Amino acid sequence: MGFFSVLGDMFRIFKHVFRQVFVRPFTSLYPFEDRYYPERTRGRHIHIREKCTACSQCVRACPVVAIRIDKEDKMYEKDAALYFDYSRCIFCGLCVEACRFDSLFHTPIVDLSEGERDDLLYGPDKIETLERDPLEWRGRRFR
Amino acid sequence: MKTDIVDDAIEIWFGPQHVSAHGWATKLTLVGDYIVECDPNAGYFHRSAEKVMEFRNFRQGALIMERLCMLEAFLAEYPYVTAVEKIAGLEVPERAKVMRTIMMEASRIHSLQFWWGQFAAELGLFTMLLWPWVDREFFLDAFEELSGSRHAVSYNTPGGVKYDFNEGVIAKLERAMDRIEDRLPKFKDMLLRGPTFRVRTQGIGQFTAEQGLKWGLSGPNIKACGVPMDLRKDDPDPSLAYDMCDWEVPTVHNEDHPGESDAYDRMVQRFLEVETSLGIIKQLLPQVPDGPIIDPKHRAKANRLPEGEAYGRVEGTRGVTTLWLKTQDKAQTPWRAKIRGPCFSSYYSLKHLVPSSKFADFIVIFGSLDPYPGWWDR
Amino acid sequence: MQTWIDGIVDWLFGIPTWLHDVISWWVRAIFWWLSSIWAIFVYVWSVVVYNIGFLFKAVIFPGLIFIVMGIIFAVWSTRKLWGRIQARRGPFHIGKYGGLQLFADAIKLISKETIIPEKARRWMYRFLPSFLLIIVLLPFAFIPWDSSWFIADLSVSLVLVFAFLTAVPVIALLSGWISGSKYSLIGGFRAANNQFACEIPMIISSVGPALLAGSLSVMGIAQAQAGIWYVVLLPVNMVTFLVAAIASVGTFPFDAPVADSEIIFGWRTEFSGIYFTMTYFAEFAEQLLYSALLVTLFFGGFWGLPFIPAVVNFIIKFLVVFFFFVIVTSSFYRLRQDQIVRYCWKYLLPLSVLNVVVALLAIAYFPGLALLVIGG
Repeated sequence: MGFFSVLGDMFRIFKHVFRQVFVRPFTSLYPFEDRYYPERTRGRHIHIREKCTACSQCVRACPVVAIRIDKEDKMYEKDAALYFDYSRCIFCGLCVEACRFDSLFHTPIVDLSEGERDDLLYGPDKIETLERDPLEWRGRRFR
Repeated sequence: MKTDIVDDAIEIWFGPQHVSAHGWATKLTLVGDYIVECDPNAGYFHRSAEKVMEFRNFRQGALIMERLCMLEAFLAEYPYVTAVEKIAGLEVPERAKVMRTIMMEASRIHSLQFWWGQFAAELGLFTMLLWPWVDREFFLDAFEELSGSRHAVSYNTPGGVKYDFNEGVIAKLERAMDRIEDRLPKFKDMLLRGPTFRVRTQGIGQFTAEQGLKWGLSGPNIKACGVPMDLRKDDPDPSLAYDMCDWEVPTVHNEDHPGESDAYDRMVQRFLEVETSLGIIKQLLPQVPDGPIIDPKHRAKANRLPEGEAYGRVEGTRGVTTLWLKTQDKAQTPWRAKIRGPCFSSYYSLKHLVPSSKFADFIVIFGSLDPYPGWWDR
Repeated sequence: MQTWIDGIVDWLFGIPTWLHDVISWWVRAIFWWLSSIWAIFVYVWSVVVYNIGFLFKAVIFPGLIFIVMGIIFAVWSTRKLWGRIQARRGPFHIGKYGGLQLFADAIKLISKETIIPEKARRWMYRFLPSFLLIIVLLPFAFIPWDSSWFIADLSVSLVLVFAFLTAVPVIALLSGWISGSKYSLIGGFRAANNQFACEIPMIISSVGPALLAGSLSVMGIAQAQAGIWYVVLLPVNMVTFLVAAIASVGTFPFDAPVADSEIIFGWRTEFSGIYFTMTYFAEFAEQLLYSALLVTLFFGGFWGLPFIPAVVNFIIKFLVVFFFFVIVTSSFYRLRQDQIVRYCWKYLLPLSVLNVVVALLAIAYFPGLALLVIGG
C-alpha cells in the first residue's frame, strides 16, 4: 500500500464518480410517469360475481382478516358480496390462490390513494369494476 | 466495568432515535474516545411473530417469516415451508427444487447488495449507498415479474412453489446478473480498493474463529475467519438443488492475521458470496427441468398436519436461520413455532467485540456484522 | 387711570397673544425638528451619494445579496450534483430544475418551531449561530472579483481571512458545549480537532502564493498572476490547500464533526429552525469562500480569457473549483478523527512545505523565472 498506489486508487475512484455525473438518473418520476407493471402484479383485486359461489374460501385464506362476505346480498343465483378492507390487506395472494372458481383475481393496479380511511373499504360496487374515481383534493387529482 | 469506577465515564444511548439505529438501542459507556462497555438491548423491534404464528395456518405462516426480513424474503420463508413439508411428508417436484434454489440465491445477492449500500452509508459515503441499490432494482424487477411483488414475494409454499418461471422472468434475472457482473469491478474499486475504506475497516472489530464459534456466529461472519461452515454444503437439503451444481464454500484467508477476521475481511467475504451465488444461478438456470411446480395431490396435505415436530433451516444471507415447529394431531395451526434468527448472536457479540475500540468505530463494527433488527426481535 | 376692568381687558387681549406665542413656538419647534431630520437625511444622503460605489459593492454586487444568492445557488447545485452522482435527480419540483427549491426549504426551516433544549444555555444558543454566519460571511469582503469589484483591500487581508476562519471551530466547540447534549459535545470536540489538523497545512499552502507575489493582500496576489497562474508553479500546494480546505469545512471525507451515522448531526444536533438554517448556510458559505480563495491564490484570480469580462472569468473558474469540491466530497469514506490528524500532519504538512521550498529554490537559481512570475 505505497503512496503512489494509493494515489492511483484515488484517481480510479475519481474516474468512476466523474463518469457518473454524465449518466442519466435512474429514478423515475413515479406519480407523473407510469412505470411498467408485470402481468402477475399483485395489486387490487377484482371480483367476478357471475362465477362466485359464495364458498368463502377467500375469507378463510386471508391471514389478516381483510375480506368480509355478505351472503344475503345476491345478484345472481348463488353469489355473494365481498368487502375488501385495503387498510388491512397485505397483498399476499392467498385469497386468489384459494379461489377455485376463477372468480377473484389480482389486477396490476396499485394506485389506491384515498382521502379518508373509510374509502379504502371496497364494497361490492367498487370491487367488481376497475373504474374508480381518483381522489380529487384542492383541484389536484391523485392516483 | 461499572460507571462509578471510572469518574470520566459517560453513558451514551446509541439509541432508538439515532439516525443509524433503526429499531435497536445499545448503551455505550465511554471513557474519553474509547468504549469501555457495550450493552446491546434487544426488544425495540419486537412484533411477537412466534405467537402470531400459532394463530395462522400452515400456508399463512410463511408470510410472517418473510416479513421478519424482507431483504432475504425467499430465504426467510424457507425454514417454515420445509418444516411443514417434513411434518406432512410432502415431496417437492424437481422443477420446484431448482427454482427455489435459483430464487434463494438471487435473494442472497440482492440482500448483500443492500448491505453494501447500508455499510457504505454508515461509513459516510452516500454515493455507494445508491449505486448498489440501483443494481438491486433489477433483481427486484425480476422478483416482481416472477411473483407480482417486489419484496413480500410469498413464493415458497408447502409442497413446491407458487409461481412458474416464464421467459420474462428468466430474461430479467439474466439482465440483473449481467448488470451486477458489469458493476462488480467498479464496486471493488470503490469498496475494497478505496484507500479511505481500507483505513477505516482494516484491523477493526477483529475476532478469531474460536471466538466467533463460541459466540454462535454463522454465515459470512464466520466464513470470513476462514472456517468453511456452510449449511448448503454441510447439510445438503433434499428439497434444494445445491448438489446439481459445482461450487466451493467461499472463505477468506488473510495472510496478516490467519484465522481471524476484521471488518475488511467481512466485506471481501461478501463479495465472494455474491460471486458464488452468481455462479450457482448461472449453472442452474439452463438445467431447470420440466414438470409441475407443485404436486396438486399434495397441496391439500398442508391444510391439516399430523402430530410431529421438525426443524427447518437454511443458510441465510446473514447466517443460519432455523425454525422449530411442533404440531398436534390434525391441527390447522402450529402448536409452537420457535425462530432462531442469525443476527441475534451477531448483535450480542458486540458486547465482546466493541469494548476498547473507539467510539467512531462502533458503527463500523456493528455494520460489518450485517445485522438486521428483524432477526433478533422476532 | 387703571381700574380692575382694564386689567380684565388686558387679560382678554393677552389670550390671542399667548395663543399666538404658543402656536408659533410649536411651529418653530416642529420646523426645527423637521429641519434637523432633513439635515440628517441630507447628511446621510450625501454620504450615500459620496460612497455610492462602496455601498453598492457592500450590499449588492460582491457583497451581501450576491453572496447569499451564491450560497443558495451553491446549495442547489450541490444537491443536484450529489443527486446526479448518486443516480438520482435531486430537487426538481419547484421552479425550473428545482431552482426555487432552496427558497422553499429556507421558508420551511425559518417558519419551523425553534426548540431550545432544557439543558442548553439559552442566551448563547440564540447568539452563536448568527455569529457563526457573520464570521463566515465577513472574509468575502476581501475576495477580488475584479480589479475594481471588491469591498475592501487591506495589505494583510490574507492573514485577516485566516484570522476570521479560525473562529469557526471555536464557535462549533462552544455550540456543542452549550447545547447540553452528549452527541453535540462530542461533535464540538471533533470540530476543534479538525481545525487542529488542517489549519497549519492550509496556511503554509497559502504562504507559497504570498511569497511569489510579494504581498499579503489577496488583491495583490490576484494581480500578480497576470503572467502565470501559480497553479503551474505550485501544483502540490494547490492540492494540499484543497484537501485542507475540505477538512476545515468538515464535509464528506472529513465530516467527523457532523458524522451522521456516528454522532447524529455532531455539534448541530440540537439546533432547529432558523438556527439550523444559519449553521447550514455557514457551512456552504465556508465552501464558497474556500473555492473563491483557491481561485484567487492559485487559479489566477480574475485573469483569464481576455475577451470575457474579468468577473465572468472569475466566476467560471469559481464554479469549476466548486464542482471539484463536490466531486471530492462524494468519493471517499469518512475518516476517523485521529486519522484526520495523522494524515494531515504526516502527508499534507510536509508536502505543502516541500512545494514552497522547491518554488523558492527555483526562483533563487533561475532569476528569469522570477521575472516571469512577477510579470516583468
